[in-house]
Amino acid sequence: MFSKSDSLKLFTVVTVASVIVFFLLSYDTLQKIPIQTNGKNITSEVIRGKHIWESNNCMGCHTIFGEGAYYAPDLTKVYTRRSENFIKIFLNDPNAMYPGKRKMVSYKFSDKEIEDLISFFKWCGEVDLNGFPAEPYLKKYTASFKSSNVKQPEMFEKLCLTCHTYQNRGVTVDPAPVLDNIGKLRSRDYLVKWLKDPKTIKSNSLMPKFPLADSTISEIVDFLVFDN
Amino acid sequence: MKFKSQQISYYFFSLSLLLLSLQLVYGLIMAFAHLGFDVLHNIIPFNVARATHNNLLLVWLLSGFMGAAYYIIPEEVNRELVSLPLAFLQFFALVVVGVTALLGFNFNWWEGRKFLEIPRILDYLVVVDVLLFLLLLGLTILKSKTRTTTSLILYFALFSTALLYLPGMIDTTNQTVDSFWRWWVVHLWVEGVWELILGSMLAFLLIKLTGVDREILEKWLYIIIGLTFLSGVLGTGHHYYWIGTPDYWLFVGGFFSSLEPLAFLGITIYSIFVYNKRVIEHPNRIALTWTIGCSILSFFGAGVLGFVHTLPIINIYTHGTLITAMHGHMAFWGAYAMIVFATISYTLPIITNNKFIYNNNISKYSFWAANIGIFGMVVFFGLAGIVQVYLERILDLDFFIVRDQISIFFLFIIMSALLFITGIASFIFAFIKSGLPKTTKFEKI
Repeated sequence: MFSKSDSLKLFTVVTVASVIVFFLLSYDTLQKIPIQTNGKNITSEVIRGKHIWESNNCMGCHTIFGEGAYYAPDLTKVYTRRSENFIKIFLNDPNAMYPGKRKMVSYKFSDKEIEDLISFFKWCGEVDLNGFPAEPYLKKYTASFKSSNVKQPEMFEKLCLTCHTYQNRGVTVDPAPVLDNIGKLRSRDYLVKWLKDPKTIKSNSLMPKFPLADSTISEIVDFLVFDN
Repeated sequence: MKFKSQQISYYFFSLSLLLLSLQLVYGLIMAFAHLGFDVLHNIIPFNVARATHNNLLLVWLLSGFMGAAYYIIPEEVNRELVSLPLAFLQFFALVVVGVTALLGFNFNWWEGRKFLEIPRILDYLVVVDVLLFLLLLGLTILKSKTRTTTSLILYFALFSTALLYLPGMIDTTNQTVDSFWRWWVVHLWVEGVWELILGSMLAFLLIKLTGVDREILEKWLYIIIGLTFLSGVLGTGHHYYWIGTPDYWLFVGGFFSSLEPLAFLGITIYSIFVYNKRVIEHPNRIALTWTIGCSILSFFGAGVLGFVHTLPIINIYTHGTLITAMHGHMAFWGAYAMIVFATISYTLPIITNNKFIYNNNISKYSFWAANIGIFGMVVFFGLAGIVQVYLERILDLDFFIVRDQISIFFLFIIMSALLFITGIASFIFAFIKSGLPKTTKFEKI
C-alpha cells in the first residue's frame, strides 16, 4: 500500500501535467481564435454591438453560441434566419411581434444601436462553431412545402411566416390566420391597404404595422394573389 | 467551540441561508415566467431574475465556504484567528458588495456575462474583500505550529478560487475570447478548485464525525483531488466545443470530462468506506446524514448528470437547452449546497451550545424534503429538456411552439420546488431555534 507522501507525489505530478497541457492548448487556442472567428471582421460596430449585448444582459434570456439563459430564442444565426429588416422591426417594438406571448424588455434602442447589434449578430453568425447548431435530422420528414410557380419574396418568408403559416410552412401565432387562400378571399387593394396598416381595416387587429417599402408590399401581395 | 474566533462562522452561515431564501424567490419568479405567468415582467424582468438567482447562488456558497474556512482552519491549525474584528469587517464588506451588486441588477447595472454579471468596479471590491479573507487565514496558518493537510488543501483551494476570478476581468472585443476566459473562471471553479474545497470540508467532517484516523483520510483525499484535476482541468474543453474555438477541444474536452464522474465516484466510495470504518458513534446524526448525502448526490448531480450530455455527439443537440438546467441544479445542490448544509449542521450545535438539531424530526424533514424536492425538479427539468431537444433541435419546430409544449413541465417543477422550499424553511427554522453563538468555552462534542 502506498503512503501519504506517495499520494501527494501522484497528486502533484498529475496536477502539474494537466495544468501545463491546459496552458499550452489555451495558448494555441488564443492564437487560432482570430482565424476561426474572422477576427478581421470585428469592426467598431461589432464591438459596440457586443457592448450593448452585455450591458443589457441579453444573455439573461437569450443564448448566443448556445450560452446564456433558455427563456428566449438562440440568436447565433438570427441574422440569416430572420434578416436585417426583421431585427430592425422587432427591436423597435419587441412586444408588437408576438402579442400575448412572453415579453421582452423594450429597450428603446436608437437606430444606431440597432445597427450595431445587427453588425454583432452578423459577425456571430459567421463564426465557425465546429458544426453547431446541428442539422435537425428529422426535419426532412416534417417539411412539406409545395413548390410554387411564383418566386417567394424574401420578406414573406422572413416576416410573414413568423406568425402565419402558408402551405404548411411557417409558425402559427394565434390568432394569425393561415394564408393559403387569402389571395382568393381578399382583393389586391384590400391586402395592400392591410399591409400598410392593419388598423385602418380592423381597429383591434393584433398585427403590427410594419414599416415596409411600397415595393415590398406589392411584391408580397402579388405573390399571395398570383400563387393562388 | 475550541476557539472564540470560530463564532464568526455563524454570521457567514446566516448570510448564506438568507441569500439562499432570496435565491428561491427569484427561482420561483423564473419558473412562473416559463409557465406563462410573467406577471412581474415590468418590475423584475426575466434577465434580472436570472442574474440575481445565479449570483445569489455564487455569493451564498462563497459565504458558506468562508464560514466553513473560518471554523475549520483555526480548529485544524490549533490557534485563534489572527484578528476577529478584521474578520467581522470582511464579513460586512461582503454583505455591502453583495447587496450593492444585487440591487444594481435591478437598475440595469451589470456585465451581462453568465455567472459573472457583477459590474467591473464591484469586481475590484470583491478582490479586496477576498484578499482580506485570505490574509487573515494565511496569517493564522503561518503563525501556528501545527499544519494539517486538510487545512492546507482548503487554503490552497480558496486561494486558487480568488486567483481564478482574475481571468474573468480581462477585457475582450471578441465574443469567443470573452467566453473562453469566462469559462476559466466558472468551470475551473466548479469543476476544479471548488471540488478541493468540497474535498477538504468533507475530510474535516468525516474526521470529526467518524473518528477515523486522519492519515488514512488525507492520503485518499490527495488521490481524489488528483483525479479531480486530471479530469477537470482539461475537461474545461467541454465548454469549448461550439463557441468558435479549435475542434481539438471536441476530443480533449470529451475525453477528460468523461473522466469527471470518476472523481465524484471516488468521493462517494471514500465517504461510505470511512463511514463503515467509523470508530465513534457521533450524536450529531443529522450532520452525518448531510455529509454522506452530499458525497452521494455530488456523484449523481455533478458526475452522472454531467456525463449524460458531455460527449460532443450528444452535446451538439443539448447545448443551450434545459438539459443544462437539469444538470446545473443537481450539481450545485449535491456538491456545494449540501456540503455547506453538512458543515452548518455539524458546527451549529457547537457554536451555539444548543443541541436542537440532534435527532430532531425537523432536521430529518429538512433533509428529505429538500432532497426529494430537488430530485423532482431535476426529473422535470430533464423531461422538459428532452422534449425541447427533440422538438427544437431535431424536428426544427419554432421556439414559441416548443415553449408552449414544454411549459406544463414548469408546473411540476414549481410543485417540486415548493416541497424543496419547505425543506429549506425547516432547516432555517432549526438554525434560528438553535440561538446565537455562545462564546463561553464548553466541553468539546
